[in-house]
Amino acid sequence: MEIVQVLALGLLMGGVYALLASGVTLIFGVLDVVNVAQGSFLVFSALFTWQVWDLLGIEPLLLIPVMGLVMGLMGWAIYRGMLVRVAPQGPGMTVLLMFGVALALEGVLNIVFGNKYKSVTPPYFTESLSIGDLVLPLPQLIAGVVGALVLVAIYLYLRLSWAGRALRASAQNRDGAALVGVSAIKSSALAFAIGAMTAGVGGVLLAIMYPIYPATQYDWIARLLGIVVLGGFGSIPGAVIGALILGLTESFAAAYVPEWSSLFFYGVILLILLFRPHGLLGERTREDVAV
Amino acid sequence: MTLVKRPALLIPLIVLILLILVPMALPDSQYEQSVLLWCFLFAIMASGWNLISGLAGYVSLGHSVYLGIGMYTGAILAEAWDVQAMYLMPLGALAAAVVALLIGLVVLRTRSHSFVIITIAVLLSFLLLAANLKSLTGGSDGLIVSQPSWAKELGNTPYYYVMLGILVLTVGLVAFVMRSRLGAGLVAIRNDEGKAASIGINTTVYKVTAYTLSAVPFGAAGALWGQYLGFVNPIGAFAILASVYLVLAALIGGRGTLWGPVIGGFLVALFQEFSTRFSGGVSARVLIMGIILILVVMFMPAGLLPTTRAAWQRRKARGSSVKFIDQASIAASTTEVDTSAIASRVTHRGDAPEDILEVRDIVKSFGGVTAVDGVSLTVKRGSITGLIGPNGSGKTTLFNCITGTYQPTSGQVVLTGQDITHAKVWSRAHDGLGRTFQITRLFKSMTVLDNLVSPLERTSPREMVAGRYSGDEVERAREILSFMGLQEFEKQNAAALSFGQQKLVELAQVLMLRPSVILLDEPASGINPTLIDKLATVIRRLNDAGTTVLIVEHNIPLVLSLCDHIHVLAEGRILTEGTPAEIRNDPSVIEAYLGPDHMVGAPHA
Repeated sequence: MEIVQVLALGLLMGGVYALLASGVTLIFGVLDVVNVAQGSFLVFSALFTWQVWDLLGIEPLLLIPVMGLVMGLMGWAIYRGMLVRVAPQGPGMTVLLMFGVALALEGVLNIVFGNKYKSVTPPYFTESLSIGDLVLPLPQLIAGVVGALVLVAIYLYLRLSWAGRALRASAQNRDGAALVGVSAIKSSALAFAIGAMTAGVGGVLLAIMYPIYPATQYDWIARLLGIVVLGGFGSIPGAVIGALILGLTESFAAAYVPEWSSLFFYGVILLILLFRPHGLLGERTREDVAV
Repeated sequence: MTLVKRPALLIPLIVLILLILVPMALPDSQYEQSVLLWCFLFAIMASGWNLISGLAGYVSLGHSVYLGIGMYTGAILAEAWDVQAMYLMPLGALAAAVVALLIGLVVLRTRSHSFVIITIAVLLSFLLLAANLKSLTGGSDGLIVSQPSWAKELGNTPYYYVMLGILVLTVGLVAFVMRSRLGAGLVAIRNDEGKAASIGINTTVYKVTAYTLSAVPFGAAGALWGQYLGFVNPIGAFAILASVYLVLAALIGGRGTLWGPVIGGFLVALFQEFSTRFSGGVSARVLIMGIILILVVMFMPAGLLPTTRAAWQRRKARGSSVKFIDQASIAASTTEVDTSAIASRVTHRGDAPEDILEVRDIVKSFGGVTAVDGVSLTVKRGSITGLIGPNGSGKTTLFNCITGTYQPTSGQVVLTGQDITHAKVWSRAHDGLGRTFQITRLFKSMTVLDNLVSPLERTSPREMVAGRYSGDEVERAREILSFMGLQEFEKQNAAALSFGQQKLVELAQVLMLRPSVILLDEPASGINPTLIDKLATVIRRLNDAGTTVLIVEHNIPLVLSLCDHIHVLAEGRILTEGTPAEIRNDPSVIEAYLGPDHMVGAPHA
């Protein structure tokens, strides 16, 4: 029965990871930008949630739409204000720009919130749902389910709406999309906003699960990038698979070999990349074919 | 020494002498020395990083992992052997190099994005390893590094001089690489990796070598740095911030230049020191460094040194007159160079078999589409062979299977009797297969001459350490340029040339490989008729000199006038083959190009 417990926890965590990593992979797919600032967006949203909860004492989950919107707008502004200028210089420079954003944001959060752990502790923080022998902590359960639902909503939006089609068209062929009237800049701004929005939503979910402080952004960058590399850049199904692998690896490692849990995941990544340099579901890009 | 004529060396020399004098002239300068030590460390790291990320363009965001490996190597072995950690600098360098070699072999299989991320993942993996291998590393608490007996008396000064020494050696290493063929090859890889491979640069060996070398200064400095700090712990040794700051250093100064990373290293170390001291601690430092990084990326991405250099050259250029090159007459000129003298210089394999290039039953499918469906053809030694066919007939796919851009689904490619079906692109170039591209792929940031001296006829350590212009390449390059009537353009940037001229330069570049077979991919597309005539003349002369040529081309009159033998492809199969006269009169060829309706009563030549 213990295995089922470990499996369930891993899948729930995987749901949250999947939401966050699909933000990164969507931004990459459309913009060709590795958003290393996603971790700092996440921490920003979580600390903001803590602040509101601490001041007003309202139910933190109510902040999900608010933080989604706030981070979406911030992502849009970062794209229009900075990224659009740097994008032509290629992936090396955009990744450094986003690192600059991450550092600046961390610095601001450090100054405002201090370098201490903050925890959001609503009444259900310590409660669990028991189904037979299975014990699921309520925060994990809520976060996993909400994360998966938001991800499904985004996926349906990308599949079914005109804007979603335009985004996917831009991701596959920028110039071709531009020729049929899809503005690359507009769809890039939208993609970046949606990507940042996932961090806004994810930040609230993290806040009810874990204590947060600004420098934890590095742990999150590491996890999210690992997932995306593993799943293959630009592929949302790949990100979901990568996220579930990470969730399960972590929960199994935590149950059986606690201190090695993250290293285990990196080991899996290196092993898979040895055989599939483009990740599980990643496609070979044109520049790779050139050699 | 002609230092007076070379201010580029004079200024660093003066600075070096001043730095050597600091501890002697200012005995109470322990604090200043510690700040300068910090500067040296960042200059060393930024210069080392420059080897792989500046020259070859592979941005590593986790390079401080090699500093940490040096620190731990020094600390662990110093304890075990009871010696001073700083004496173990060579071992620190060796450990860093070995780890870099192993990681490089895996990591360099990936391209830009994944490479960046995996370098971060490697750093984090070592952080976790160091924290968890408690028996070896002392876990998160780390290890104490014992101090030498002179520590109290001499303070920072010995560390100061040794670190300065490492910096000098590091700059020397970078300068050596930049002047070597290895450096030229790395710059070519940064410009266009696929093209670099096609002219014989073994990109894997070059990248792994650069990556391994780049770790060496980190490892040496790490062993020293650990003892200077007095302790080594995971967070200090494998800090991702150090990795980002050292990239910022190289960026501010100027990636790919010799002195840029050194200048940037000093600046970044000083920024950190001042923002920590004067604006209230680590939080402010992270914020300030973040803002500097954003500003540099947005407004000065090339870095200080290249930006000032460009401004200086614009100023100098303002007064000087523009030299007019009469392009029309150059284009029309037929050069009076002795072709037989060129011959031995551009082709070398006289004893090739009669069928110099054989394609045996090649099939290439993409998913469900079979683009080439069982094609066999031979190219006779000394011939000019044409490959024509309507759009979508599989010409380009077949061409790509021969050059190694694609792996055929089945079938064989045989060059001078050797099966090269699965050979790497660069080894095909070494075996005597040269190719040009339909859309030219010259290294645009290099001059025409530098483009011509880039090709390599073999991969060997001796070749890699040889000076960029050390052999007879420059002489040969000039001969080939004048053979083509391009001598006027030697010092021009390749990007400044017209498309047609670029095609000629690309052909000249391929000739530097002394190929036995040259594959020309639509040489006449997109260039003007005068240049087409000139190209035809050049191809005939090369052929007279013994070079075999295979042309894929849509310009049928050119193919008919130039070729000895022509293969016609249609729908992925060989439709027919023969002499130009036979092809001209073959109704099936006309049908393949124009469709069956054309035959009904339509007059044709």
